[in-house]
Amino acid sequence: MASLFGGGASSSSSNALNQERLDMALTEMDTVTDLFNRMVSSCQSKCIARYAEAELSKGESVCIDRCVAKYHAVYAAVGEKLKIRGEGQQQR
Amino acid sequence: SGKEPVPPGFTAEDLENIRMNKKMERFMQMSMESCAAKTVLSGVAGFGIGAVFTLMTASMSYEDPMLRQNLGATQKARDILRETGKSMVKSGKGFGKVGAIYASVECVIESYRAKTDIYNSVAGGFFTGGILARASGPKLAFSGGLAFAAFSAAIDMFLRRETPDED
Repeated sequence: MASLFGGGASSSSSNALNQERLDMALTEMDTVTDLFNRMVSSCQSKCIARYAEAELSKGESVCIDRCVAKYHAVYAAVGEKLKIRGEGQQQR
Repeated sequence: SGKEPVPPGFTAEDLENIRMNKKMERFMQMSMESCAAKTVLSGVAGFGIGAVFTLMTASMSYEDPMLRQNLGATQKARDILRETGKSMVKSGKGFGKVGAIYASVECVIESYRAKTDIYNSVAGGFFTGGILARASGPKLAFSGGLAFAAFSAAIDMFLRRETPDED
């Protein structure tokens, strides 16, 4: 890919920007996929105890709703704290 | 622009409509599985079962033949059918109450605990028995609740038994 960055200054900077955006998009995709997989695995291990029926019972579907909401909340809270820590360290 | 790309063959309006339809569908499904719907269904089913059961046992009921001896045949038949109908509705209401109370209590308890095991049935049965026997004093209500809880636990254990694999 590096061989493609030939051309003039403007085109190379736009290519670099596109590459950066592409990388960001790929990272975001990876993060979201990882979040989804971990959430599914965690909520399944916590909420579903019995595999005698194919459908989710009322208790299980309520549990999964709560599990997903809590997982998001924990993810957001931990991200917040990490960001605050990172900012605090940057200021020093 | 900052909007979601539209797949080929759809317009943005179509996407909006599809999203609204999906929302409606999810709402309908949620309301079907809600506690209120379960209560209503259980009550109606209980009413039906009580009515049919009373209809079947009404054919075996005996009464004093001297009671209606001065009426004609059609009048007698109409009276008897009307009485059967009344007792069907009465016993249907009783069964419907039992079904509705049990379904609502069990659904609420299961929604609160977010677990699916047998204790939901036991607690639901206990409260149903207690509510149904509330007029006969606290001790009888408690023992009635225990009995109903045991009955409900037995039925639920039967319904939740592990059936052999269908290999």
